[in-house]
Amino acid sequence: MRTTRVVVSGIGFVTSIGNDRATVSRNLRELWPGIERFDFLPGTELPVKVAGTIKGFDTTAPQWAGWRWPAGYTIPKDVLRGLPPHGLYAFCALEQVIADSRLTAEILVDGETGLFCSSAGSPRLMRQYLNQIHDSRGERIAPMSVVSSIAGTLNFNFAAHYGIRGAVAGFASACASTTQALGYGFDEITLGRQRRILVVGGEDLSWESIYTFHGMRALSRNPDPARASRPFDRDRDGFVGTGGAVALMLEDADSAQARGASIYAELLGWGQASDGSSVAITHPEGQGLARAMRRALDSAGVTPAEIDYVNAHATSTPTGDLSETRALQAIFTAAGARPPVSSTKALTGHGLSMAGVMETAFCALGLAEGFIPGNANLENPDPACEGLNLPRTTVSHAPRLVLKNSSGFGGSNACLVLRRWES
Amino acid sequence: MTITPAEAQMSATEKLNGFPPAVTESYLAFAESGEASRLDHVVLGVLQFYLAQPPPQPLVELPGTTRLVEDLGCDSLTMVDTLFLAESLFNIRLADDELARVSTLDDLRGHFQRHIMGQAEMTA
Repeated sequence: MRTTRVVVSGIGFVTSIGNDRATVSRNLRELWPGIERFDFLPGTELPVKVAGTIKGFDTTAPQWAGWRWPAGYTIPKDVLRGLPPHGLYAFCALEQVIADSRLTAEILVDGETGLFCSSAGSPRLMRQYLNQIHDSRGERIAPMSVVSSIAGTLNFNFAAHYGIRGAVAGFASACASTTQALGYGFDEITLGRQRRILVVGGEDLSWESIYTFHGMRALSRNPDPARASRPFDRDRDGFVGTGGAVALMLEDADSAQARGASIYAELLGWGQASDGSSVAITHPEGQGLARAMRRALDSAGVTPAEIDYVNAHATSTPTGDLSETRALQAIFTAAGARPPVSSTKALTGHGLSMAGVMETAFCALGLAEGFIPGNANLENPDPACEGLNLPRTTVSHAPRLVLKNSSGFGGSNACLVLRRWES
Repeated sequence: MTITPAEAQMSATEKLNGFPPAVTESYLAFAESGEASRLDHVVLGVLQFYLAQPPPQPLVELPGTTRLVEDLGCDSLTMVDTLFLAESLFNIRLADDELARVSTLDDLRGHFQRHIMGQAEMTA
């Protein structure tokens, strides 16, 4: 019998729909999108025209010395020099979560605090540095080229900066990464190994990070920012990419309460399962995701009928949304349950490895503040979605139990069950 | 001279974006004049910008015997960052084993003057 309760005790956002909790909450409720026209490669006519843009930051300069960020963040140069663009976002998100959860410098280094991160690394910096090495015939290698560009850069940088002495790890399961990080963070706390785990996801917004997905025709070619990302819609044609960073504190409830931290939600359990079928395409019947949902529900000890809201992974790709639909039908429709299902990627775009922690933070806000975001941009629901409850507007009903889905390359699926906090 | 004024203009736009204007001004002035004092302001200005803790006064005003590690808290990565950028700005290549001999501000000045101007006697 598990006695430790794991809660979300802090959130930090740098996203296309806002760089602070209040703005993100307002935009989720009002379904105000963060997607804009975006020129991935100036001077070209690429078929992909939109992205979930990050406002208030400018990381277009090739060197960190030329980057700009919102007032209020003091970033030491010895930290900045090792960061990729999304590391800058992540620094700001982490500073928010540390303040939000009332963490002190002493707690960060007490060995009871861990750090789990995920990003794809920085393909932009990697290209820049590799070109430099190649063009100089090996004579010029920027000192921080490796640690600032490879996957793992977030955990390298922030474990060092904050002096983290607990568990530190990176996750590399593509778009399921930070959901897995939250799941394993939950395990670390319930097993008594750690009292709290900071989970951070981040991604660059650049042609190197996003436009490369056009190679598999996964990106929307719809040039209209208001209609390009339309999960579950009959006319969806691919996902819209976004960058940013989100940080979330998972913590033993007793520890959070003793410190007087705000508690947004309780993480009740999680589950994961792999499709075992394709390197890049989800199983057509969503079998792996259905198993992951079942395991998450079992882990949390709840039934499909008890779930009040599902935050779907649905990225707006024709095949991915269909496979998640099949999985949802297998778990919910088959059990006679019709919880509201929505994908907030219609507002934000798809944050790749960051998506799981970003959308879990959205769920935590909905649980704490009593709302369910609707499906923005959904005009003509795909007939295949029959039986699913897909609200088009925000639901002012306070959910008690929420399921969060994530799926990634290679068929990795991870799901979380969160509950409204009741002390 | 290792760079022309036109090359320096392009290089400054690309590589000194975000640096204090005085560093850029000194860099462009050095490309025009070749004056050693301008070179000092570039090299020490870059190092000062990279230092995690600001020095008590501008590096160009500190004694040449000021030690990089002990007095300024300059770690090895900051040193390599400084040298890497300076190599790129002046289109030179510094041998790795020479870096080990750079321990004071005068060492740093002299190092670049020798490589860029070929005038070891100009070391302050």
